[in-house]
Amino acid sequence: MRPLIVWHIFRKDLLETLRDRRALFTSLVLPLVIYPLLFTVMARVTSSKREEVAGMTARIAAWGPVPERAMKAVLAEKATLVESLPTVPADAMERARRAVADKVVHVVLVTPDGSAASSVPVTVYADSTQFESDAIQERVLKVLRKAGVALLEERMVALGQPAISARPLAVEGFDLADSARRAASLVGALLPYMVLLLLATAAFYSAIDLTAGEKERGTLQTLLTAPVQPLEVVSGKYLTVLAMTLVAALANIGSLGLAIGRMLSGAGGGEASFHMGPRVVIALFLTLLPAALLLSALFVAVGVMARTYKEGQSYLMPLLFLVIFAAVGSILPGAELTPAMALVPLTNVTLLMHDVLAGHATLTLATMVIISSFAYAAMGVLLAARVFETEQVLLSGEKPWKDVFARKAKGGLTPGSALFFVAVLVVVAFYGSIPLLRAITREQIGRAIAISEVGFFLVPAVLWALALRVPLSDALQLRLPSRRGLLGTVLLGAGGWAVGMVVMSFLSRFEGAREYSRQLGDLLGKHGPLSLGESVLLVGLLPAVCEEACFRGVVLVGLGRTGSRWLAVVGSALAFGLFHFNPYHIVLATVLGLVLGYAAYESRSLLPGVLMHFVNNSLHMVLARVPSLEARFESPVVIGLGLVVTAAGLWLLRGSAVRPGPDPSPSVTRPGAVLHP
Amino acid sequence: MIEAQGLTKRYGEVEAARSVSFTVNRGEVVGILGPNGAGKTTILRMLAGILTPTEGEARVAGNSASVDAMALKRSLGFLSGDTALYQRLTPREVLRYFGRLNGIDEASLARRIEELVDAFQMRDFANRQCGKLSAGQKQRANVARAFLHDPPALILDEPTNALDVVSGRFLLDAIRKERQRGKAILFSTHVLGDAEVLCDRVLLLHKGQVLDEGAVKDVVARAHAQTLTEAFLNRIGDEA
Repeated sequence: MRPLIVWHIFRKDLLETLRDRRALFTSLVLPLVIYPLLFTVMARVTSSKREEVAGMTARIAAWGPVPERAMKAVLAEKATLVESLPTVPADAMERARRAVADKVVHVVLVTPDGSAASSVPVTVYADSTQFESDAIQERVLKVLRKAGVALLEERMVALGQPAISARPLAVEGFDLADSARRAASLVGALLPYMVLLLLATAAFYSAIDLTAGEKERGTLQTLLTAPVQPLEVVSGKYLTVLAMTLVAALANIGSLGLAIGRMLSGAGGGEASFHMGPRVVIALFLTLLPAALLLSALFVAVGVMARTYKEGQSYLMPLLFLVIFAAVGSILPGAELTPAMALVPLTNVTLLMHDVLAGHATLTLATMVIISSFAYAAMGVLLAARVFETEQVLLSGEKPWKDVFARKAKGGLTPGSALFFVAVLVVVAFYGSIPLLRAITREQIGRAIAISEVGFFLVPAVLWALALRVPLSDALQLRLPSRRGLLGTVLLGAGGWAVGMVVMSFLSRFEGAREYSRQLGDLLGKHGPLSLGESVLLVGLLPAVCEEACFRGVVLVGLGRTGSRWLAVVGSALAFGLFHFNPYHIVLATVLGLVLGYAAYESRSLLPGVLMHFVNNSLHMVLARVPSLEARFESPVVIGLGLVVTAAGLWLLRGSAVRPGPDPSPSVTRPGAVLHP
Repeated sequence: MIEAQGLTKRYGEVEAARSVSFTVNRGEVVGILGPNGAGKTTILRMLAGILTPTEGEARVAGNSASVDAMALKRSLGFLSGDTALYQRLTPREVLRYFGRLNGIDEASLARRIEELVDAFQMRDFANRQCGKLSAGQKQRANVARAFLHDPPALILDEPTNALDVVSGRFLLDAIRKERQRGKAILFSTHVLGDAEVLCDRVLLLHKGQVLDEGAVKDVVARAHAQTLTEAFLNRIGDEA
């Protein structure tokens, strides 16, 4: 794939989209105008209605022997008695319903005939669907309850007891949240739901126009006559849909945030103030990014299946309902962001947005949401790319779905298969780790590490290679480097730890990183449940083998088929980093992944990575138990020496491969190959 | 220059093209003639690297579609009834876009666009959005798009469709000029009069198979006919 061609396609598609005034008006201008207008009007109407009801004289009917004391109390609070019947009519409920519906009265007070004098029931009939009747009922009930307490107090006094004994418990609620947090919580419940829908709507129209719309207009085939690959076309279109979605999202967040804020301050009389500062806006944008990535990919993938704009709408509508379903999940009572919910696509994003707005988002859960969303988005992009590689779909064939999903996987490890593998691994690791962490105690941490390393990394890597019928020696790079490479491997093993030390020294500036390091030290250090030997085996050797097989094997080899070294090295390092979950550990692992990936790519061997990984991890296990050694290894001179040795090792490893490429089969970027069914 | 070797395309049980072989040489216009559903578009799409043949091979300027489809597309200008222009872009923007996709550098591209704007008399509408152009103006811009990277081979699928007489004549003249410049041109049309005056050779296609191939006069003679239209109808009649 050529980034410059993707850029040209993206620029052209964006220009065309921006010239579509109707789409621009619907996705950008309309939200900017409609929400402030809608919420301002709503706030004004609600506020004025409330004031109107507060000052309104209630029209009341009283049927049956309603106690005089109760009637007096009610009529003392801006009320007038419209009708009074000494007995309750036989069809009381129906008659009351009619009277309220005809606006003759707001409420009807009913006391059954022959009620006992010591406890008189008073029922207040009202219609909750009518704003005025509902509000007056609330007012009357409050007055009656107060009158009841006053009556009880009088009886207690008559019995020679103090009046206060009528209130044995003085119950009162107190809200710990300040007005800003109350407002934020309220906004947080509404805003994510609405923003997700708006994101989906923006993606919906852009995706249809750029896929089914292009097919219908006949311009997609024009594009396919140019020397471009389907993956380049899908990437350009995907980026355009993503850009339009994000711009629309930003406009909507700003517009909605302001509008809801204004409405709250108007409705609450200043009690509930809401302000969305730049930090919150940035946090919301970052939260929305993975959702936008996923939605854009899904909508492009499904949109391209359609032959016409109309067909596109009918294909995408069910998807839009799924988005609504996911969004609704976040506003259900009791819905909150937990590790399990962090894996539910789209719902996780709305829950995280809610937490960001309410000010109690945690970095760990946010990281989980973002990682899982990126994984789902990667799957969406791959689906879109697969759809685009299907000529029947591109040329409006009759059975596009069959063509897309009935094709057999071929071509061994490809960049697509590597990305898909990472996405599958995310799901396996996340869902697998939840029951594992629940079932295993601190004392059994060694077993947990062994199960996760083998179960989440080594076994999937081996199965993936077997499923694609790629020999394990190729998929996992199980071969020795050249002699020069072997020397480089030894040097890398001897000095590679220094890279980690430099990164850790930088990260130690952050309290979060120091706290994480302390937690790891408690778990894996000398006070932890593992002996030094067990630590070296389980934290040093096992990850060195299992994780290297996975990331410097299947992932790197697959990405290496693009023919781009940097894409293979950076891509595999990012994937490796993501699986360390804690944000600080992600940074550390990604940097180490770059060195490990470079060594593996250049040597076409897993060995340098395994050795460096093993030494690096084992060293930290040793240092955690021997503090006197730690100071030596943190010395700038020793670290500098380690870096020099590492550089020498990498220099020797460069171009040391015995075989010419990461995989003997031809590159999938070979033009023309993508259109084969 | 343009070579079809045993091109076959099957969609399940349906055979859209069956073992079609022919060659178009430099400086030659070959007409591919057939009724609707004869398989013309399928064959042209396979030759343009848009469709993958079930069997056989498509080559343009020595580039095989199955080995290097990108190189094949660079050596080919393709125009068909299904290749429309972007309604919200101007002809100049369309040309710039396709020039960039073909890897032409910006300075050369700017020069080439001006050449084509003059050659196809597009100066009056080159900066007007394609959605606002007439059918003839759109087709001129589209032909300019196909000629833009000055490919050695051209595939033109019914290019005179929906054009008035003046625009149609203009296009046929442009094709002749390209032939004089040594281009290999594969030309499909159902206007047999156009084929008669323009094509050096013709291929009669029916139900995905080549019924006859050769110079217009030879095809007419072999069908015991007076005109190409008559020859065409006779051959289809024989097959039907």
